Amino acid sequence: MAFTRGRPALHLVTPLEHEAPAPVISFCGHCGAHPPAAAPSRVCADCGLGLILESRADVAPKVGDAFLILDRTLAVCAVSEAAERLLATTEPDVVNQHVTALLMPANAEEKTGTSLSTAVAWAARGDSGTRTTVVRPANTFGIRLTARITSCGAPQAALVVLE
Amino acid sequence: MRYLKTSEAAALLNVSPNTLRAWERRFGFPKPQRSPGKHRLFTHGEVAALRDALQEGLSISSAISRAREGLAADANSLVGALVSYERERADAAIEAALALRSVERSVEEVLLPTLDEITRRYSVESAAWAFAAHWAGDWLRRATRLTPPPVREVSIVVGDASRDELDRDTPYIRALELFLVRAGVKVLSLSARGVAGIGDAATVHRPNLVVVAGGHLDDDTVARWAYAIRLAVGPMPLAVYRRGAERPRVRATGTTVLPAGAGDAQRTLLELLESDQAIASSPPAAQPQVQRAARGSR
Repeated sequence: MAFTRGRPALHLVTPLEHEAPAPVISFCGHCGAHPPAAAPSRVCADCGLGLILESRADVAPKVGDAFLILDRTLAVCAVSEAAERLLATTEPDVVNQHVTALLMPANAEEKTGTSLSTAVAWAARGDSGTRTTVVRPANTFGIRLTARITSCGAPQAALVVLE
Repeated sequence: MRYLKTSEAAALLNVSPNTLRAWERRFGFPKPQRSPGKHRLFTHGEVAALRDALQEGLSISSAISRAREGLAADANSLVGALVSYERERADAAIEAALALRSVERSVEEVLLPTLDEITRRYSVESAAWAFAAHWAGDWLRRATRLTPPPVREVSIVVGDASRDELDRDTPYIRALELFLVRAGVKVLSLSARGVAGIGDAATVHRPNLVVVAGGHLDDDTVARWAYAIRLAVGPMPLAVYRRGAERPRVRATGTTVLPAGAGDAQRTLLELLESDQAIASSPPAAQPQVQRAARGSR
């Protein structure tokens, strides 16, 4: 290593290129429909049973996707129509309950079983990344689902898309 | 109390009337009352609470849950006032409930649950219950007195079989009387202990139906009272309200057992009265026609 008279070498570094913010898309928290940009109401005009939320376009759910919306306390805030069928529940029955009422971590490689809660907590506080983990329905063994967890809002929350 | 029609409530929430009806089916909220013409009438307070919750919610369910929590605050503040023995604060709490709800719903969703909560926490032997029961009885009687005169041609005699003001059933009986009076029914409430002179009272009042309410008095006492009424005005439908669940022989006589909720009981009674009146007013024309037809065929 080449040091000159004990002084650390300083290098000119090129400034980091700022990533362009990912495009954001609106979706219904119940049916997953994408409303027009200037929708007059927060309530979905298609199904009337969900509020319009925003998420990154590349991870936003599509119509018919099974997904949940969780807040930073890991409480269930919304359950899509497909998730209601998949998890054999209804949104009014599970709203405000802890996520473990519906989903349990099922990643065999994960020793502590905290990846689901950690990912949800990060997403719910606005982390822009997307994490993937394996979960199972709380009352069913032998079924594995891939959960794609990312941020959504407003207000800030975690979007868990089940695949 | 300000009421909104479906279209007005939908406009306030910025949704379609169909969406509002879908919410009522799926979530049971906002819960409308019905106008005399059977149209939905939403209380402004509920709709406004939901509108605010929707602004900050992540789903319709969570917004409704938040709006309900806000409305439930009235019951908590009434409990707090009554267990603190503060009559003015209790009056203010029920007034706050009335700002968001009808009288019936304020009683069913705030006043009666508050009394249940106090009996659960402190028992019916407590001073808190004595104060709360007295306040509630006073309030319910005042509300009954302030109700406009009856408009229906039907009347009910209520035989009060509760112990006294401190009986747990008493506020429910007073609430049922209030609801009936507000529905335009003439109500005469008498103690089911007193049989002397009951015939005169029944003759003056000419009841269409008799309700025995409360579970303190034994069946024999209540039966004597009901028999005295029957002697005076003849047979008529009998309903029992809050007589306890363990009285199967009452059901066997064809007596109507009313639901425990005051609102449900009122609705059942109104249906009974309507069906009774429909039977009474149906023209007995079928029989003569058949007879005429029979004569013609001879």
